[in-house]
Amino acid sequence: MMKGIDTFGKANEIEAFGKAGIFSFIRALNHTIIFNKIITKISNFKLVSVSGLFSKFEKIAKFFSSFSLEGKIGVLGLFCIFSLAIFAPLLTTYPPQKITGNSLEPPGPEHILGTDELGMDIWAQICYGARMSLTIGLAVAFIAGFGGGALGILAGYKGGYIDQGLMRIIDIIMALPSFPLLIVISAFLGPSILNVVLILVLFSWAKPARIARSQTLSLKQNPYILAAKNYGAKPFYLLRRHIFPEVLPVLFVLVIGISSHAIIAETGLAFLGLGDPTSKSWGMMLNHATGFRSIYFTPYWKWWLLPPLFMLIFLLLSLAFISRDMESILDPKLKLKKGF
Amino acid sequence: MERESNSCTCRLFLTLFVLLAINFFLPRMMPGDPFSTTSADEAGEEIIVMTEEQRLYYMHYYGLDNPLPEQFLMYMHNLIKGDLGRSIYYKMPVKEVIKLHLPWTMLIVVGASLISTSLGVGLGTLSAKNRKKGRDRILMSFLIAFAEIPSFLLGLILLLIFSVYLRLFPLAGALTPFADYSGPAKQLLDILYHAFLPVLTLSLAQLTGVYLLTRNTLITVTTKDYIRTAKAKGLGEKLVWNRHALRNALLPVVTRTGFMIGIMMGGVVLVETVFAYPGIGLTLRSAVVARDYPLIQGILLVIAISILLCNLLVDKIYGKLDPRVVI
Repeated sequence: MMKGIDTFGKANEIEAFGKAGIFSFIRALNHTIIFNKIITKISNFKLVSVSGLFSKFEKIAKFFSSFSLEGKIGVLGLFCIFSLAIFAPLLTTYPPQKITGNSLEPPGPEHILGTDELGMDIWAQICYGARMSLTIGLAVAFIAGFGGGALGILAGYKGGYIDQGLMRIIDIIMALPSFPLLIVISAFLGPSILNVVLILVLFSWAKPARIARSQTLSLKQNPYILAAKNYGAKPFYLLRRHIFPEVLPVLFVLVIGISSHAIIAETGLAFLGLGDPTSKSWGMMLNHATGFRSIYFTPYWKWWLLPPLFMLIFLLLSLAFISRDMESILDPKLKLKKGF
Repeated sequence: MERESNSCTCRLFLTLFVLLAINFFLPRMMPGDPFSTTSADEAGEEIIVMTEEQRLYYMHYYGLDNPLPEQFLMYMHNLIKGDLGRSIYYKMPVKEVIKLHLPWTMLIVVGASLISTSLGVGLGTLSAKNRKKGRDRILMSFLIAFAEIPSFLLGLILLLIFSVYLRLFPLAGALTPFADYSGPAKQLLDILYHAFLPVLTLSLAQLTGVYLLTRNTLITVTTKDYIRTAKAKGLGEKLVWNRHALRNALLPVVTRTGFMIGIMMGGVVLVETVFAYPGIGLTLRSAVVARDYPLIQGILLVIAISILLCNLLVDKIYGKLDPRVVI
């Protein structure tokens, strides 16, 4: 994908230099516009839809190339884990929840990463566990991020009692010690994936709501929004057309942060034995492995405990790299402030 | 100014009240009750199954058959008197159970906050002095990557490396079982030996925050006019850094240390589970498993109050340290 765009860029450059003068001037003005123009010229002969596709590709490639090296590694890592989760049935030969071998087999040709105490394939558990972690992370992040964001925007836009009330609730939620409470609440609600997601959402919507609110408050005063209002724009139109698109990028960075928090929290809960006992998440694997009596005196930990541990750290580091990069792309001033 | 301060305290009490309410109602809504799961984790121990009659008797004995509002009032009343109820699992007052385990948690949390603060300030200063040089870059990217690993995974790695693979440190516990100490020095040594890995885990997890804060504040502070003046006066490099720059840069670190203790109190549950360290975190876990309501309530309360108190204390201290800040 990257290569293709690059050669296109080169051709574009050569053409521009060949025609010199006005062309390079336009190029200096805006690279994308001229690129799209050339594409449309080409697509006049071919398919029109190619243009849209290419400009989309270019957008993604451009976005990707603005990442730092760490960010690229993060994107690649996340991509790997996603494909592990999506293609889990193709990548594994054994189902994760079935007894397919002797118990505690070391890694070998039959079972790539060996088996656990019940004789279940660990590689299969890792692949299917990726589904678990990603699902919980994404579900919590999207519900909390966009739900909280919507609430925050609403509060910021409406003001008055709604705003005051919401802020008080947010203050309290943010002051509560979340993890000890998480433990107790999830013990009370009973272990199931849905409950874990709900509890995590309950504790993570406050931050995006607060940030969306403050963004909305400052946006609301902008002349163009006041002008739109004077022209008779309805509140819903204003929110949808002007405010939400502005707040969206910030929410997106927050969503990545929330998803990594959610994954950590889910793992922590599962590690304590409060996850869904029927699921095979990475945290559950850690729980089973560390719960196995005298595992540390046997060599079993090498293939039972290490794989989920490394996968988790890999996933969290990938997410962190991406979120750091997104932050600095979004707000170059932040980069200076943080001293990078 | 006075009103602002009052609203802060007021919010604190509101949070505390919400916490108490959650604390009280949640365990009572949990599935199961403490008497249907009076069993033990250990194999070989006898599992006691109660008859319905016995169960009702115990429900009455512990006051669990009263209406909820009445129970809540009782709870608040007892709380004010300092009575946290009786643990059903340990069969002794919750206060005693917490008293037994809290010192271990305090030991590792306070130890870790001291270590991570001092180490973080040291490394931050080093980094700020060598800004944009190789040493700064390496330290920075290393520590930032480190910060993303949650403390219990870090603890697990440290446990695997130092205790399992190298066999340098103990796998579990806070004291050597059945040890016969010849003197208090030996005992202290044993305690430190057992606390080493948990403290290391907690302090490594918090190190990056302090480090980044120190580094960035120092870099901001060194661009200030009074630093240039101090340098122009001919003061030595060391004097300028230690007296003028670092002293001012340390103010936010104080705040950070306070919040850090709060964060650690939350994360300590998992870390203690990893190292089987007998603090209140591990106790909370066993209490949840055993559905021991009063103990869960008590421990949550202790953790929550210590976090809230830390935050309050930080606010107050910061106001004293830095007169520019209006609380």
